[in-house]
Amino acid sequence: MSRFFSNKRLILLMLGVILLVALISYTLRDRDNVSFPEQVIKDTVGAGQSLFSGPAHFVTGIFDNVDSLLNTYKENQHLKARLDEFASVQAEVTDLRSENEQLKEIVGKEADLRDYNPIQATVIARNPDQWEEKVILNKGESDGVKENMAVMTAQGLIGKVTLVTKSHSTVELISTQNPNYRVSAMVIGGEEGVFGLIEGYDAKRRELMLKRIDAQIELEVGQQVVSSGLGGIFPKGLVIGEITEITIDEFGLTQLAYVKPSSDFTLLNHVMIADRVTPEVEGEDSEAALEEEGS
Amino acid sequence: MIRFILPLIALVLFFLEPVFGLFSPLQLDGVYYYIVPRFLLMFLIFVTVYYDTRHAMYYGLFFGLLYDVFFIDIIGLYAFLYPMICLITGYVVKSVHRNLLVATILTLVLTALFEFVLYLFFSVISVISMPVDVFLTTRLLPTMIANSLFLVMLGWVFKSLIVARLLERENSKA
Repeated sequence: MSRFFSNKRLILLMLGVILLVALISYTLRDRDNVSFPEQVIKDTVGAGQSLFSGPAHFVTGIFDNVDSLLNTYKENQHLKARLDEFASVQAEVTDLRSENEQLKEIVGKEADLRDYNPIQATVIARNPDQWEEKVILNKGESDGVKENMAVMTAQGLIGKVTLVTKSHSTVELISTQNPNYRVSAMVIGGEEGVFGLIEGYDAKRRELMLKRIDAQIELEVGQQVVSSGLGGIFPKGLVIGEITEITIDEFGLTQLAYVKPSSDFTLLNHVMIADRVTPEVEGEDSEAALEEEGS
Repeated sequence: MIRFILPLIALVLFFLEPVFGLFSPLQLDGVYYYIVPRFLLMFLIFVTVYYDTRHAMYYGLFFGLLYDVFFIDIIGLYAFLYPMICLITGYVVKSVHRNLLVATILTLVLTALFEFVLYLFFSVISVISMPVDVFLTTRLLPTMIANSLFLVMLGWVFKSLIVARLLERENSKA
């Protein structure tokens, strides 16, 4: 035992351990800003990471192409079947769009929660230990990315920006188990929109939980869930998923719906960051909605 | 040139990990299997076994710090665990015979330990709520299988490169 403590190196080691544990507990807290040295490290590592992820995406791209070539026949059949339907839907959409524009002009409404400027970005890395659902994108502050912006793929919403540095940003995926992660959402398909909050992710079912829906409202399985834009940061109308089951929540006061996410969270490659045109509210998405509910 | 080969390999492995991370989770029969690449950690353990503990710990501290800042925003977690694993390896290796088989088994055992410690840590800070049996079947097992494949393929490359560097260092001293 005496030899153990006489060793200078071991004392140094102990000091190092204490320092690191202190650092862990300091950084564990939710921090709003990233300190300057962290920003520098993030951007440098990010630049190096881009060099490696480029070729990797190229290779996975080739596999994807081969895969879609193999499925061409089946897909073609399927598409042909949908084509007739498409023409009539297309006509209807154009009609509705022009009507909507005219109506807006009459009312004099210019800003719309739906409008956003897309920022195209590429996923350069996914947190390899996969305990926290995070990906890193190659666009940052200098491209206009801000904290809390919505991130999506062509299929739908996948997450939001949690940290921004000069030229990179960290995205927390919607499949996180972080209890503070909320997105204000609405169910469409009924007569009018039904509002709720996406709160939490059921890891076993791999589905999102849509909570705080009025118990009076009848929902149906298969209805689509989109972002409502009322949270103050996300634009309106980003597809989130489809309802698979409806139950009563743990307090028995409101309904809870399980929502199957429309986008796939594996093999993310190209994503879009939505920069809302309507001025954003400070803070997290859904904070504003919560306050509204409370008042 | 061979002087810089160890940090260079470590750097390449550090950047390769998240690239392989993009392929996970794998879906088989509706069950998702998570595969966590631990190339850098395995390389560090090899460096400890065949080169020396001090260098391995420095590399571990440096890359652990990068890992913490870039990916998980909890500074000190990997920067603590990487050198710690190297230190344990350093103590174990004193009392066992150094050959490739022993090194491989030791590496796999310590990688599993590393995964388990991380699981405990994230459970404690309640980032995750995953029962132990689910962790063992969907995360630890596939991770260990994938990493042992990697190690079986590249373990002898690591060894020969590290030994080459070691010989060079001894020659330059003499």
